[in-house]
Amino acid sequence: MSTDQLTLAPAPPSEAAEQVRLEVRQFLAEELAAGTFTTHVDTWLSGVDPGFSRKLGARGWLGMTWPKEYGGHERTAQERYAVTEELLAAGAPVAAHWIADRQSGPNLLRYGTESQRKEILPRIAAGECYFVIGMSEPDSGSDLASIRTRATRNGDGDWVVNGAKVWTSNAHHSHYGIVLVRTAPPGEGPRGKHQGLTQLLVDLSLPGITVNPIRILDGGHHFNEVVFDDVVVPGDMLLGVEGAGWQQVTAELAYERSGPERFLSTWPLLAEFGRRAAASGDPGQLAVLGRLSARALALRQLSLRIAAALDRGELPDIPAALVKDVGTTFEQDVVDEVRRVVDVPASLDSPDPLGRALAEAQLHAPGYTLRGGTNEILKGIVARGLGLR
Amino acid sequence: MASDQDLVVATVREILAGHEPFVLTAERPWDEGLWADLADAGLTGVGLPEEAGGSGGELADAVAVVRTLAAGAGAVPVAEQLLVAGPAVLAADLDLPAPEEPLTVALDGAVTAEPSDDGDGPGRFVLTGTATDVPWAGVARHVAVLAAPPAGIEGAVLAVVDAAGLDASRAVNLAGEPRGSLVLDGVGVPGALLPPAAVDLVRARAALARAVQISAALEQVLAWTVQYAGERVQFGRPLGKFQAIQVELAQMAGEVTATAALVDAAVQALDRGADTVVLAAAAAKVRAGEAVETVAKLAHQVHGAIGFTQEHRLHHLTRRCWSWRDEAGTELTWARTLGAGLVAAAPDDVWPAFTRVL
Repeated sequence: MSTDQLTLAPAPPSEAAEQVRLEVRQFLAEELAAGTFTTHVDTWLSGVDPGFSRKLGARGWLGMTWPKEYGGHERTAQERYAVTEELLAAGAPVAAHWIADRQSGPNLLRYGTESQRKEILPRIAAGECYFVIGMSEPDSGSDLASIRTRATRNGDGDWVVNGAKVWTSNAHHSHYGIVLVRTAPPGEGPRGKHQGLTQLLVDLSLPGITVNPIRILDGGHHFNEVVFDDVVVPGDMLLGVEGAGWQQVTAELAYERSGPERFLSTWPLLAEFGRRAAASGDPGQLAVLGRLSARALALRQLSLRIAAALDRGELPDIPAALVKDVGTTFEQDVVDEVRRVVDVPASLDSPDPLGRALAEAQLHAPGYTLRGGTNEILKGIVARGLGLR
Repeated sequence: MASDQDLVVATVREILAGHEPFVLTAERPWDEGLWADLADAGLTGVGLPEEAGGSGGELADAVAVVRTLAAGAGAVPVAEQLLVAGPAVLAADLDLPAPEEPLTVALDGAVTAEPSDDGDGPGRFVLTGTATDVPWAGVARHVAVLAAPPAGIEGAVLAVVDAAGLDASRAVNLAGEPRGSLVLDGVGVPGALLPPAAVDLVRARAALARAVQISAALEQVLAWTVQYAGERVQFGRPLGKFQAIQVELAQMAGEVTATAALVDAAVQALDRGADTVVLAAAAAKVRAGEAVETVAKLAHQVHGAIGFTQEHRLHHLTRRCWSWRDEAGTELTWARTLGAGLVAAAPDDVWPAFTRVL
């Protein structure tokens, strides 16, 4: 049966994960009590706080699964999973380090040179070094392989990069980008455009790089346009294999798409709603809480299975696409389902925390099913897994 | 993916191959021949200990039997026997009826139990009242009945009723599976008093059994639909080459996969005796029921008019799923149970309780 590609072994239970979960919970309670952060929706995009990221690094909660020689802590994927979901559920400000810890670091571990790893990974694990994803461009969104940013070798063996990347979250706070560039013309045939693509590790402070803000609809500045104008990237900043960019991006996307942030972006809203349902005892509200929780529990099991598969060295790109499709749909549905059973208008100025959470979740909602691959693209990947294309 | 259950699955499939699903009627309300073959092979006692008369094996084996039969639309009370009534009867320290004879479970209606002896433990009770919505009423030889205990006592009495000679009213679910009532007119039967937590566990088992059946049936529905989309040609292309159809199939796959992951995890929670098993079963039942909405609807859409006919196999599974989601506690009931359970632990923050469910 063709659905085999979607089936993954269950994640083994982990005592260590439950232990670190309690430690993180305790830490977050103390930080909240001390007022170092306040809970918000979707903070893995919008909650930039380098000080907070460094605190997590100091406690060993970044780069958790990486080898110790690169500043990691050699802990399991389940332990890392517990840490990340606790941070998301609390709506903590984790955006600064999120991309670096989630996918850039693992990408460097897999494809980076020894000196790239030695130089950068310990700084990511310390919560001091932040990354952006350099994939989408002004004219290339879902059709990623159509990118036009080019890199050519100059006489010194360095790369000269020209082009522009967009939707680069928090480029204005970040140190590096892993930038997908075209280094050779596309090949023949329908998959030919996947050839000739390469990933470069780019220091965002290099001359010729301009970071322009792109404000999202509520005025928030998270996204940017990053323009490359004859940027000279040292030759040894090639990441992995020249021309293997497409395969490397595919591997990176399994990390990008499968984590708990793909169904917990709106958890702070659900938590606020839970308080409301507990206080009212209203059977209709309790039923909605139960229904949404059942969906979240299913997503969590799927996501945990993918984490375990990544830990085993597998590349579950199709299940990762599936969990992101189902998970981000859920994130949006939380807004719709909650607002149907509470008598609270959504407003950022609401005196009611539920009204504010509804407003934040609603204003960020269009992004959930777009970022990291639109749900239409994801469904196409799932359809491929079903043997349909 | 290879598993320890491959052999049992292969055996059940082999037996199923000789028993095509059929439209259930008053004259032929179940698949007696299928049951006989399963019983001969010892499959109606899987997961029940040998010393109690069962065939031995683990919960995972019993679940594999139930899943395979659900996917094959087998009209036999195996889910009730292996996952609900059998384990409940044994947990209550009651004698298990011979597994060759179908055993079902009655959870609804108004039945009261009065003790007819002075024993504290398993003893004898007189049951009076009507058990309603009894799966396989009129078919099952024995019924494990949950009855209201005498006034002033908490919990319920679980009693094992020999249904031979009892009148069963005929009512069926959307798939024609018997769901009638049993009138108990002062019947003296063996029974045991269960504390409230044990009663909750019996109901959770029933809900989880339906979730297991739904999950397996929906996987089969998806497989059939993918297969059909690959075979049916319109406009010179198989349906599965159209992006609109691919989207529908991917949506179905998302629902099926999410449901399977949750149901598997809930089964494991039951297996290890987790104290959150009632909430886990509630979540599984709610999620499975919700998946039925999308999967059955889109399966019929992709199959087109032929899938809407009685001659096509699709309805054997979609009609069952449309009923199973309402049975053993409606989705609304279980959704409330889950919601109330999550806020009960800590009204101020549902997250810790959420992470403890599974």
